[in-house]
Formats: sequence, structure tokens, C-alpha cells
Amino acid sequence: MRKNYIGLWMLLAVSLAAVTLYSCFDPIEIFGIELRSSGIADRLTQVPDSVDDENPDSIKRFIPAPLDTASHNILIFGDSMLEGLNPRLAAYAAENGHKLNSVIWYSSTSEQWGSCDTLGVFLRRFKPTFIFISLGGNELFVKDIAQKRDKWVKSLLKQIGDIPYIWIGPPNWKPDTGINDLIKANVPEGQFFLSNGMHFDRAKDGAHPTRASAALWMDSIARWMPNHAAHPIKMNKPADNVSTRPQSVVVLQPQR
Amino acid sequence: MEVIFYNICRLLRYDPGSPMIFSSGLFWALFLVFLPVFALLRDNRKQMVVFVIAFSLYFYYKSSGLFFILLVCTSLLDWNLSRLITVVKTKAAKRWCMIASIVTSLSILGYFKYANFFLWNWDMIVSRNFQPLDIILPVGISFYTFQSISYIVDVYKGRVAPTETWLDYLFFLSFFPALVAGPIVRADYFLPQIKTSSHATREQVYQGLWMIILGIIKKSIIADYIAQYNDLIFQTPGGYNGFESLMGLIGYVMQIYCDFSGYSDMAIGIALIMGFKLSQNFNFPYKSHNLSDFWRNWHISLSTWLRDYVYIPLGGNRKGELRTYLNNFATMLIGGLWHGASWCFVLWGGLHGVGLAVHKFCRPWLKRIPDTWSVKAASWFVTMTYVSLLFILFRCGSLDDSCIILKNILTNFDIAYLVPFIQVRLVWLMMVIFIIVAHSLPRSWYDRMRDWFVDSPWGVKLLIFITVVQFVIQFMSENVAPFIYFQF
Repeated sequence: MRKNYIGLWMLLAVSLAAVTLYSCFDPIEIFGIELRSSGIADRLTQVPDSVDDENPDSIKRFIPAPLDTASHNILIFGDSMLEGLNPRLAAYAAENGHKLNSVIWYSSTSEQWGSCDTLGVFLRRFKPTFIFISLGGNELFVKDIAQKRDKWVKSLLKQIGDIPYIWIGPPNWKPDTGINDLIKANVPEGQFFLSNGMHFDRAKDGAHPTRASAALWMDSIARWMPNHAAHPIKMNKPADNVSTRPQSVVVLQPQR
Repeated sequence: MEVIFYNICRLLRYDPGSPMIFSSGLFWALFLVFLPVFALLRDNRKQMVVFVIAFSLYFYYKSSGLFFILLVCTSLLDWNLSRLITVVKTKAAKRWCMIASIVTSLSILGYFKYANFFLWNWDMIVSRNFQPLDIILPVGISFYTFQSISYIVDVYKGRVAPTETWLDYLFFLSFFPALVAGPIVRADYFLPQIKTSSHATREQVYQGLWMIILGIIKKSIIADYIAQYNDLIFQTPGGYNGFESLMGLIGYVMQIYCDFSGYSDMAIGIALIMGFKLSQNFNFPYKSHNLSDFWRNWHISLSTWLRDYVYIPLGGNRKGELRTYLNNFATMLIGGLWHGASWCFVLWGGLHGVGLAVHKFCRPWLKRIPDTWSVKAASWFVTMTYVSLLFILFRCGSLDDSCIILKNILTNFDIAYLVPFIQVRLVWLMMVIFIIVAHSLPRSWYDRMRDWFVDSPWGVKLLIFITVVQFVIQFMSENVAPFIYFQF
């Protein structure tokens, strides 16, 4: 190789090797900021998908619970996926006489929600009688997730206590490393909506469903609830294309 | 090992959802394989040409699947017709060869890009339900079609001699740095380089790397990050107030510049590393004081192409004042339609045409105004406001959404949202301010920074590169965002 190119080639090779090597280890923190890894190692060592015939999804034989026709004070909290879910859920709330409050914590994870009292603050402020959780999108590729996040998921659910809830699983854009299994293992039957496997039109970032697709996602959840939710509430479908705003939306900055 | 091998093979296959772009890890790894082979073959022109073509076609296959065959066929037809132009004796026959090539190129482009648009309009006129044809737009077709047209016209006009071999022409048309998103390479500028260019010097190699780093910062850090908020605003135009909409618009104006100029920088840098020079595509367009100036500095390869192959053949400014305005307007309409098959793009182009005509019309009076600091500031403000407002049409899919955003900005604006906005979108705001400041710096500063980078020790360069890559990883969403101009 010509001398002029050797330096450049070495530079590109060393940096690629460094980034790849770093992705094999747990992310380190510098001044409180987690240095994210490229995920190259995970991508290369990811075991190809296989269909689990015995347990295809959360839609199982389940004796439907009686419909709760009362008006509810709903709280939805979670990560940026709420941007898409909020408008349509707000339309459902308006249609069925519920109140909806929303707390979006961008880039948040079960660890963040489970390791602090943020959720407790909003439970005390809004006093919800029904909760939707949308978390997991930022934890699709966490290695050894069961060991790392199990206690935080448990802690989060402990904070919710007896309030009926539905955990909306993340809309996988790639196979996850176990977040869906972890949620499922911790959540009683009829309180976890598995979104993995659904088809979504994605926004330009390739991850978030588009607004239209997120509205259909919410429609699917509402359709699933009467026959499969442990505590179904009134979720009559509003007119198509109707989206409104929740009564209040609290936005929390990402932890960087 | 088996799993790793399987995953590598899967990554190398065509995946419509993951086109190969320069800022992706896959391209980085492939370039590491490409570079030593290219350097070894560089002294043997024929082998180098064949190798680069093979890599370019693979690059195109990764982005557009089997459409690389269409690219090969187009080049074969164009090249044969260009040879025919030099063989036939009469001017009329030469002209027919040129027309045949242009019609073929435009027909292919028309089918893939505009068929559904025309069918939709036709069905609207005859009040019939529109059933779109199942057409996939090959990536970069607008760019290489314009390259092929400029080549055949230049051969016809005698400005360029046809390439001796088809491989040389295919090399020009499929040159991977500029293949999918420009800059639009001109035959008279590029073809001589195939014959005469030699190994890149050390300076060129590291200048190229500098351009790539700048491009990565613009495209993969800034544009991709600020896009996340901008997308929210433009996807639900009615869901946000005037202040948020205005921020979304300012963000989009910065995003499209960073996205496109960043990708162009990477293309120019990669070509420079290979010893080829591509023309500059952006020259601080947001510093422009009038619309003519803006188009001289924005997407330069397209605006000069439109000038040379549309505006001047239409008569340019040689047929009177009124005709000049009309030519300007028609050229910009075509420029708008080139960007996409939608009335929004046509309107965007048309309004730019109107703006250019108005500026030309007023120029005699404008020249009399003293060129003071305040006049310059006012000119810049008017120009940028016009350009930014027209970008609403560019970004929104429909006129209705464009009107909602505009109405929101004009009637629902409340500065009280500033403080909560800063609290919630601090990183976004810092990025937008950073790019505004960076764009305002004089060009000489960038030249000095580039020279400093080229002369810096290898370890410093490595550190800078790794830092930039880590920033990309830190800020990226889970997938690499596709490049805005891919759709064109």
C-alpha cells in the first residue's frame, strides 16, 4: 500500500477496533455521563430470530374480566414513545369520559423510573386510578438485562402498588435482548401488551412509529383490552383520525 | 463464529430499510477493505477503474438492490449513443442521437419518479379512484440521470470527447462517492481526472479525512439529533403552538443544510482521499444577502446544472427582460419538480423562481441603496425569512399542513414558551445555536483549522476521529437516519 494511505488506514482501523472492542464491555461513566457503545458486538453476535410456537405472544386463552365502566383518572408515563401514543389515547379518554395525564421522560428506562421517586411524585400529584406504562424502547439492546433490570422493574411495579395498569411493550424495530421477556415475567397476566411483532411505519429515525402508526398501535391496545386485560376499562373507539391532547403533559429531560 | 459469519452476511445483503450511507459503520468497515486494494491498483488505470466500478455497483446494490442493473444498462446505452454522435456525419443525425439518449434517460426517471404523480393528477381530473402503481424509486436516480444528460449534451456540443471505453463512462456515472446523493458530477470536470489523476498526496488524504469529519459532525451529530424534534412538529402541525412551530422551522432550516452539506462534504472527502476532486456543493448559503446569491451557494452542482442545461438553452437573459424572468421561473419550476413528485415541490420551486425574478427586476433600484451594515442585515433577514418560509413547503407533505404551520407561527405565537422550551429542549437549542455560530464563521477560519488538522500528529488525528465517532454514538437514535436527499 502507498505510504500516503497507510496512516489513514491505520487511523480508521484503530478507531473501528476501539469502537468494536468497547462495545464488548459494559458502558463506562465519565463525569456522570454514560459513554454509550456502538452495539457492534451485539449486532455481530446476535442469534437469529426463531419463532416460539409455544408462546407466540401475550394474546392467550384468558377469561375476560368484567368491564369497569367507571370514568378513570388515567396516567400514562414512560419514554419518548408517548409522543405517538398520547394524542390517540387522549382521544380515547375524551370519548369515554376519562381524564388523562401524561409524563414523558425522554430516553428513560425501567432503571431510571425504578431507582428514584419520580413516579411516586406523579402518583401523589395525579392520583391515577388506571395507569399505562410505555417503557422498554431504550432497553432493547441491553446485555444481561434480566440481571441488570429485574430489580428496577420490580421496584417500579411496587411503586404502582394496587393501581390497575397495563404495560405497553416496546415497538421493537430489531430483536431485543430480553426486555419483553423480563417485563412479561414480572407483570401479572392481562397487564402486559406485547407490541413486538406488530408492523409499524417508522419515523425517519427508524425507531419511533409515525403518528399515524402510533395511533393504530393505540387502537390495537384498546381493541385488545376488553378480552385480554386483567382490568378492562371503557375504551370505546373515537372517530378515526381524532387525536387530542391529554389534560396535562409533563416532560422530563433525558439524563445525559 | 457461525453466528458472526451469518450476521456479517446478513449485513452485506441488500436491505431496503438500511441503505448504505457514508456515516454507517458498515461503510466504514468496507472502506477499510476497499482502501488498500484501491491503493495497490491505483497505478494500473484499467484495474483501478474496474475495481472502483465493482465497488460502486455493490454500493448501489446495497442501497437499491437489483436497480444497479438499470444503471449499467443506462450507461451502456448512453455511451453507445455518445460514440454514435462522433461517428455520424450530419448534424441532424447527431441531434437525434442526443435526443434519443435524453428521452430514454428522462423516460426512465419519469416512470420511476413521476408516474404515480401524473396518474394521481389524471385520476383527480377525471374523478376516478387513484390506484398507485407499485413502483420503487431507485436511490439517486435523479442525480445520475442529470449526469448522463450533461454528458450526452456536452458530447453533442463538442465540449467533451466521448470516453474511449464504456468502463470509463460507467466509472464516471457510478462513482460511488457521488452516486446516490451528488454532488452532480460534470463530465468536463471529472472525465479528465480519470486519465490524469494520480495517487492522492498526504495533504489530500488528510484534507479528505477532515472533510469527512466535518460531514459526520454536520450530518450524524447535528442534523440527526435536531431532526427528532423537527419531525414531531412537522408530523403533527396542529399539535404545537406558534413558538414551538417556529423553533421546528428554524430547526429544519438548519437540519436540511447540515444533512445535505454534511453528506456532500463526506462525498467530496472520500473522493479526495481517492485522488479525485468533486466540485464544492455548498458555500455558506445562509450568509446570502439575496436570493440569487443563495442559489449561487446552495446545492451548487444542481443550480449550475440547471443554469447550463435548462436556463441558458431556454434563452437565458439574451431574449429580453420579460423572457429572462420567465426563463428563471421555468428553470426553478423544473428544479422544484426535480426534488420530488409533489405540488409542494413545484410550488416551492415556482416561488423561488418568483423571488429570483423579483430580485432581478428590483436590482437597478437595489444597487442605488448604500451598502451599509444595516442594509446588509435587512437584506439577509428578508432573504432568510423567504427561504425559511418556503422550506415549510419543502418539508410538509401537503399544502394544508404547510398552511397550518404558517398560521400557527403567525397567529399563535407566544414568547412565554421560551423558558419552558429552553428547559425541555436545551441540547436541541444548543445544537441549533452551535450550527448558526459555526455557519457565521469566515471561510478562512475553516481553512486554517483544516491546515492545522493536516499538519497535526497522527495521534491527535486519531483522538479527534474517535471523539467524533463517540459523539455520533452518544447522540444517535438506534438506527442511522436516512439522508434527506435520498428521496430525490
